[in-house]
Amino acid sequence: MKILIIEDEPSLREVMQRALEQERYVVETAATYAEADAKIAGYSYDCILLDIMLPDGSGLRLLEHIKRLRRRDNIIIISARDSIDDKVEGLELGADDYLPKPFHTAELMARIRSVLRRGRSGGELVLTAGNMTLDVDKVRVTVDGREVPLLKKEFDILLYFMQRPNHLVDKAVLAEAVWGDHADEADNFQFVYAQMKNLRRKMSEAGATAEIKSVYGFGYKLVPPER
Amino acid sequence: MKLIYRIALRLSLALLPLMALWAALFYYAMVGEINDEADDALEDYSTLIIARMLAGRELPALNSGSNNSYSITPVDKAYADTHPHIDYYDANIFIPEKEETEPARVLVTIFTDSDGLYYELKVATPTFEKDDLLAAIAYWVVILYVTLLVITIGLTIWVFQRSMRPLYELLRWLDNYIPGRKTEPIPDNTTVSEFRRLNEAAQRAADRSEELFERQKQFIGNASHELQTPLAVISSRIEWLVDNTPTDERQTVELLKMQRTLSHMARLNRTLLLLTKIDNGQFPESTEVDIAALAREQAELCGEIYASRHLAVTVAASQPLVVRMNESLAATLVTNLIKNAFAHSDKGCSVGIDADAGRRRLRVTNDGSAPLDGERIFERFYQGAKREGSTGLGLALAGAVARYYGLSLTYRYEQGRHTFEVVWPR
Repeated sequence: MKILIIEDEPSLREVMQRALEQERYVVETAATYAEADAKIAGYSYDCILLDIMLPDGSGLRLLEHIKRLRRRDNIIIISARDSIDDKVEGLELGADDYLPKPFHTAELMARIRSVLRRGRSGGELVLTAGNMTLDVDKVRVTVDGREVPLLKKEFDILLYFMQRPNHLVDKAVLAEAVWGDHADEADNFQFVYAQMKNLRRKMSEAGATAEIKSVYGFGYKLVPPER
Repeated sequence: MKLIYRIALRLSLALLPLMALWAALFYYAMVGEINDEADDALEDYSTLIIARMLAGRELPALNSGSNNSYSITPVDKAYADTHPHIDYYDANIFIPEKEETEPARVLVTIFTDSDGLYYELKVATPTFEKDDLLAAIAYWVVILYVTLLVITIGLTIWVFQRSMRPLYELLRWLDNYIPGRKTEPIPDNTTVSEFRRLNEAAQRAADRSEELFERQKQFIGNASHELQTPLAVISSRIEWLVDNTPTDERQTVELLKMQRTLSHMARLNRTLLLLTKIDNGQFPESTEVDIAALAREQAELCGEIYASRHLAVTVAASQPLVVRMNESLAATLVTNLIKNAFAHSDKGCSVGIDADAGRRRLRVTNDGSAPLDGERIFERFYQGAKREGSTGLGLALAGAVARYYGLSLTYRYEQGRHTFEVVWPR
């Protein structure tokens, strides 16, 4: 899997590269519009991470350019401008996803995985952890082929963890991701704990080999079984 | 106090002593004139009597129907030497015909006859009652004062309003002026140079504040933008540390706490950007939004998040309250008002959410112990008590959305409850 990072900020480029290489992706980088243009002309990539604010041109123009070339590269826009207009324009131009800065690296990984998987499976997105599978579009979770009935919040939580296996997720981050923007301002995370308890019980009753572990009372981590 | 009232008051106060002074002068002039006339008549009368007496002719009858009276008394030389020979004075004398005492003017003349004997002639003529005159003058002065006052003030108001119109138009313009909003130009309707200068000064001040406002807005926007990338970098580095290096519990917890603070900062930043965007009017698309549905949704969500506080939540939002707004701004408004009520309620308090479709109104109430500063509550970073993780921008956001759509968003404190109310115009 080859990924191109187009980002002018060296530090961010570096952390993104490091994280991606850790996931065994082949990573190339470009810091400017011109550099990116040259790389795109010469090679094809499975996924391009595109910052739309580049020193010598707009990433959106670059996106247009790529799409004009009828390339199949998946593109995720990364932008400091969290604006609906950019998002709409980017997605209309054919970007596969839009991620506003600042983002969690785990979030970026999840988006990349999901974009790549969707590209492979013709749009259907099914996540797997051990003997457990989660079908995003059908909103269905099965363990060894048997369906596990989950409530909406439980499903959302499980989806969040399945997209980030082995990643330690802070309760506050989880609350914001599942309950919405203001949830991480809450004074305690009792509501997260309550949902989590039910979800973990349902998983173990169904005999799932993956497990969501509590870490230092501060967060959780989905641990798939060792292969 | 309005300028015109002040002018009227000052005019009436200034007229008062002037009129009093005038009344006094008038009184003395009048008295002097009357006395002068009376004295002339008395002098003629006494000359006539003296002439007749010295000539040995018959003296006039005591009562000639004129109420004039006289008396002649012989006096000795010593008396004549110690008294002035001609003396006018006012006195009250008894008039037998009328059987009453009346004020009179008296002339005393001491003269000698051919034998060298001294006589004192006292002639008197009744004059006016001074009290009556004073009362009459006072009466007329009051009437004059009132009339003058009415005319003067009427004229002043008329002249004032005609000449000060440009000032009042400028004031009206200033009242309607909000920095950062498109406003009509300053009225240009006068040829009076003072007003022209005033208008020009106001225009300059408005232009300047407009420019400052614009620059400040841009600065906040740019600063927030520029912060996004470094925030992303730090956040990624912390995540990497947690996931990829062997850290013990204390280190991990510390790192996660840093991560939380960082995400608080990122949210603050996002919110500032959002505020800037709202103020810039960057939310053009409007759709039909059901406020009641939004309120129900948010109430349920908050109910779950704040379940541990055991709040008594009442939601009256069954009828759809459909308004035309940008969807995400409508959500921002409703979410922030409702979240605010939940977040600021102590254990066991009650929260009320009422979306009234008939009155096109959303009202959010919660228990409170003391009223908040209604003037400042919609300002950025105004917080009664600092709460961990709170941006202090929630109500500022709600306020900005309301301002953007010209909605009335009000706060009041009644019967121990904080009440926030948004009203959509029909």
